[in-house]
Amino acid sequence: MFLNPWSLALTLCGLVVLLLGAVAGKTAVRVLRFWEPGSDSNQQIRLENEIWLSSTLVAYGLGFQIVTLILFVLAADEFCQVIVGAMCATGALLANPFGMPALLVKLFGVFFYGFWILLHQLDIRSEHYPLVRIKYLALLLLLPLLVLDVTLQTLYIAGIKPDIITSCCAVVFGENTGGSTNLIAGYSQQGLLLAFIGAIAGLLLAGWELLLRWRLWLAGLYAAGWLWFLVLSLVVITTVVSSYVYAMPYHKCPFCLLKPEYHYFGFGLYGALIPATFFGASAAIAGLVRGREGLGGVVDGYQRLAVKLSLVLLVVFSGLSFYHYLKYLISGGEG
Amino acid sequence: MARHNLEKQLSILDFALSSLWRHRMKSLSVLLVFAAVIFLLASFQMVTQALSDKAKQVLAHTPEITLQKMSAGRQESIPLAYGEQLAGIFGIRRVVPRIWGYYFDEVRLANYTVMGLEVNEMPEGGRLGATLAKGVMPGPADEAQGRVVVGQSIKKTMDLAGRTTFSLFRPDLSLKPFEISGEFSPDTDILTNDLIVMNVADARDLFGIPAGLVTDLCVYVANPKEIETIAKKISEALPSVRVLTRSQIQKTYQVVFGWRSGFGSICLLAALAAFVILAWDKASGLSPEERREIAILKVLGWETSDILAVRSRESVIVSGLACIVGMTAAYIHVVYFDAALFRPVLMGWSVLRPDLHLLPRLAAGDILLILAFTVIPYLAATVIPAWRSATVPADSALGG
Repeated sequence: MFLNPWSLALTLCGLVVLLLGAVAGKTAVRVLRFWEPGSDSNQQIRLENEIWLSSTLVAYGLGFQIVTLILFVLAADEFCQVIVGAMCATGALLANPFGMPALLVKLFGVFFYGFWILLHQLDIRSEHYPLVRIKYLALLLLLPLLVLDVTLQTLYIAGIKPDIITSCCAVVFGENTGGSTNLIAGYSQQGLLLAFIGAIAGLLLAGWELLLRWRLWLAGLYAAGWLWFLVLSLVVITTVVSSYVYAMPYHKCPFCLLKPEYHYFGFGLYGALIPATFFGASAAIAGLVRGREGLGGVVDGYQRLAVKLSLVLLVVFSGLSFYHYLKYLISGGEG
Repeated sequence: MARHNLEKQLSILDFALSSLWRHRMKSLSVLLVFAAVIFLLASFQMVTQALSDKAKQVLAHTPEITLQKMSAGRQESIPLAYGEQLAGIFGIRRVVPRIWGYYFDEVRLANYTVMGLEVNEMPEGGRLGATLAKGVMPGPADEAQGRVVVGQSIKKTMDLAGRTTFSLFRPDLSLKPFEISGEFSPDTDILTNDLIVMNVADARDLFGIPAGLVTDLCVYVANPKEIETIAKKISEALPSVRVLTRSQIQKTYQVVFGWRSGFGSICLLAALAAFVILAWDKASGLSPEERREIAILKVLGWETSDILAVRSRESVIVSGLACIVGMTAAYIHVVYFDAALFRPVLMGWSVLRPDLHLLPRLAAGDILLILAFTVIPYLAATVIPAWRSATVPADSALGG
């Protein structure tokens, strides 16, 4: 179903991002072939100019990808109106096998572009550009991801045929239904909440420890913990938090949170969770390049900043995710 | 450190604003064209939005299931007896027959929609009275023979000048007299503008439909959760009948509106492409003064990244202003001028056209959609020229 403003906008953005990626990729190939830090040839000066272009392009690409990520979910929500049986974005995304993969690739893409920009920011802090080769190798590795992203998205849009029966989210995420459409089931709410609270406490402790004294193994653990926490949080948001926000026990959907009916609550929730995970995980990743020439101080500074930011965002995120739950426990529901 | 950063950002913003002001003719021309493109796209989006909202509102009051008899792929009259075959299905509240069709008035060259209803039979029939500006809905055949309720533009077209009677031709060209017993209020014009409502017997007489046949049967269902199941049972019981549920009709409207709006957007893509080329061109053509300016900045210690930042701030400012101007204009166009530019494309081509007051509801998602459509291509078109201008070497302009 391409003849729809949402599909067109997504396709247009996809093409723009691919174009920017292709231009950046051209620079990457040239840098990998001809980069000579010591030389002052014309070629080298041109390349030093071009790395500005490629980094700007990736930064723009990141911004555009964040916009398309939101747009994709909103478009799915719009598509559900034309698919029989789909009541919200979940149903629309499950209408064909490309919906969920496209969303996940977009989500993880945002992290990878972010890591690349981090690498670039660290690189330009040093006069020797010590990370140039790694950076451009990574850029070339990002391009297939970009192509995959746009391909999945296009396949998804092409596969949307108005009027196919899909399961709505009440069935998909519901507790009492079995079968293959049940994405998230089989966890007990209590157990999940305990794990969630435990993870928050663990991350807060580990982060605090790291700020007091930086230890490599702990930083690695902290990053891994954040990645695990991201997955756990998405599950908890879907199965526990969302139905408290909607005040409907059987509506368990991670996407409707983004709608105006719920005061765009989801933007706050995901807007805290995703950057928090990024900063939490990137502290350790930045540590990988600490040994490079002239980067020691810069990396140390960034790591402390990233851990602090991730802790602040973690507090914001846990506040937001427990707000409706506690409100329900204390005041006994809506009103 | 943070304070220093903030100051730097503010200075860059300040420089970007002053740079836009120095090239105000160039900036203004881009801004105006950009605003016009956003205006077109946003108007289209808002009209679609408002129309599909309106359709949703209207459809909320239609019967849950409509039955039509199909023969050789075309709709034909359905026997009233079919209604009795449904008696065994639990959950059906009532089955109400309906006759409707179009009447072409050869004298006034206009199409009327004629509806024959059993108002007393319909579960919410009593509430139909609320849609009337004056008079009453026609009752059952024996009391209300020849009484009709008409919409606003029928009243105007027929030019009755105070009379309450008029006649229409039956298929055999004999005249059937009618008396106007009420008129619909202008508030419901989108539905009732070209409508003549009478009871089923009169409609059957007017269209010459044999006794025992009607156009379609409306099935009212008490519990909305049972609609799909009942629809399935009906189509099993009456295989030759097309069973339309309300949600199906609603989805079809959504697809049609989405399709039309997508079609409009594709047409506007040409305008967008032209604008992107213009923006690219305006941003690429560096005058000698601009080269000089950048060279001087570089000599003063500005880095490539600072100049890139200035350029990207300029693009963001231009897009922001263009969005505000374009979307405000689109809103005014849709609300106060009833989307005069696009109405024919989105609404159909009927001769009696209702006055339609559209009220677009702009959710954050729609704004994001319009931004994605316009701002992203613009930013992408200006980034490479911005980099070209930022990498002008410091000595090139000063030396020569």
